Amino acid sequence: MKTKIYILVVEDEPEVLDSIVRDITEFEEQFVVEMADTAEEAEELIDSIITEEKGLIGLILCDHVLPGKNGVELLVEMQNREETRPTRKVLITGQAGLEETVKAVNEADLKHYIAKPWEKNELVSITKKLLTDFVIERVDDPLPYMKVLDSERIAESLRTGRKLTDR
Amino acid sequence: MDKVKLTGLILGIAGFSIPLIITFPGLSFAGHLALSIFLMAAVFWMFETIPIYSTSILVILLEVMLLSAEGFIQFGGSYSPVPYSQFVATLANPIIILFLGGFVLADAAVKYDFDKNMTRILLRPFGSRPAMIMLGLMAVTAFLSAFMSNTATTAMMVTVVIPILAKMEVSDPARVSIALSIPFAANIGGVATPIGTPPNAVVIAALNQNGLSVEFGSWMLYAAPLALVMLVFTWILLLKLHPPAVQQVPLELKGTWQTSGKAWILYIMFGTTVLLWVTESIHGIQSGMVALIPVAVLTLTQTFEKEDIRNLPWEVLWLIAGGISLGIAMKETGLAEWIVGSIGWENMSYLLLLAVFAVVSVLMSNFLSNTVTASLLIPLGITLATSGVVGGPAATLIIGLIIALSTSFAMVLPISTPPNAIAVSTGVVKTKDMIVSGSIIGLVAIGLIILMASFYWPLIV
Repeated sequence: MKTKIYILVVEDEPEVLDSIVRDITEFEEQFVVEMADTAEEAEELIDSIITEEKGLIGLILCDHVLPGKNGVELLVEMQNREETRPTRKVLITGQAGLEETVKAVNEADLKHYIAKPWEKNELVSITKKLLTDFVIERVDDPLPYMKVLDSERIAESLRTGRKLTDR
Repeated sequence: MDKVKLTGLILGIAGFSIPLIITFPGLSFAGHLALSIFLMAAVFWMFETIPIYSTSILVILLEVMLLSAEGFIQFGGSYSPVPYSQFVATLANPIIILFLGGFVLADAAVKYDFDKNMTRILLRPFGSRPAMIMLGLMAVTAFLSAFMSNTATTAMMVTVVIPILAKMEVSDPARVSIALSIPFAANIGGVATPIGTPPNAVVIAALNQNGLSVEFGSWMLYAAPLALVMLVFTWILLLKLHPPAVQQVPLELKGTWQTSGKAWILYIMFGTTVLLWVTESIHGIQSGMVALIPVAVLTLTQTFEKEDIRNLPWEVLWLIAGGISLGIAMKETGLAEWIVGSIGWENMSYLLLLAVFAVVSVLMSNFLSNTVTASLLIPLGITLATSGVVGGPAATLIIGLIIALSTSFAMVLPISTPPNAIAVSTGVVKTKDMIVSGSIIGLVAIGLIILMASFYWPLIV
């Protein structure tokens, strides 16, 4: 069985959560999108993806202001856990202050900061870029992802890497 | 472990056990052991229970343990066991060294973007009409894949083609024909030289062991015309099946030649090595010896560094070596002769026999790795010729050529070859389109190969 790669969306407002998930529907052809409305719920999800589903978490799109633990804390925790360190981390938020954003960059290797409201194109292209990075770095057989991701970059990785050879 | 792999594991173990339990009349004890190894390898290669190169390594290990003079088993008079060094020496077989040289050149070419820049220059004269661009793409792909791996060439050309396809109307059939033309041209280009693709190596090594040396240039003389004709045929076929709607295709290829000293060393080495390979008949230095020149020069100048050496596709060399050593075991133990003897070839005409090998090769390698197909068939084909079942001094060579060339013309399915898999993965090509054109190409190639076996090769051998 092929290892599943998950996209995690963490957002407490249902309409916003819906709209993020709707914008990234095109990736559901190859990736599994999972939703959580609190950091605590996200942690449970991460546990079950890693231990029960044996999946990889490729990308997290995370709001900052959440009831309970905030988004940046969640991202830092993920960065400190071996299985979720390679996960590409993105904040989608209107209200993260400079200090917290700096913390996310320094301690959670934040890959992108999307300010609300966002453009669909922006969200899709960032998702595509970060998932392509993840797949090139982490997946032995990137071919199934070529169609939904940046196929030119995946082809280039096949040219320079040695993941696929004559046989 | 999924069901297919599990089935393979069970069948593989069963295949290994059968000759140990049942005694086949006319087959020596060593032949039984070789049959065990052969059956297990065939099953593992087919079901890919373990990676195909692991099966090759396992073959060498079992031969060393069970069939060598230093191994665990004492043989009586019927079989004088070969020293184990002969099985492991397949890893340094001249053809493996030739491939090593090819790999080093190809990887260095990628490192210094020589492949991309060559493509840019070579595509320029083909203008901007879609049919001509396609011809250009195919010619360049075939040319490069004759010296580099088919897969790496396809990956590189796909990076060139994707921006072009992105600018075309989604409904334009030219998108399909262009996306199909790349893997097909890469598969076809692989047959043109000994280093074009691994099955060529397995066959050439087997021919060498039977006292037939095949020069680099002679192989090209045998095989390149086939590649050329099939390339033009494929071009016309794809244009007929998916005629382009647009008149102009935007072709902008950006890039600059690297001009560092090391890049120049690579350019010069690439040119020199290829030149020395194709002129073997003039200077008489064997291609395997020539292959060491780029390996030495590129590493001693640090053009090709330690990290690059580590990144070479070593598993492909193991895969080839396993195929070669399986052939040795089958020949030495008399297994190949026994299998050949137990089939009623006498009822077949020479031509029918050649056709059977061509068809079986194409069929098998559509589903299996091309190298594996060649490894499984070549011991039988060669024995058939050397044991005199089929006649003529050229028969050995001709059967070898048929097996090597036919395996490369299996391009019906995405799983047939890695280049096909890449093309389908882009999402531009549907599997259905590949099946239609791939089947026609396979059939025409079989016909052409048999024609060449009947009229062309006997003339020039």
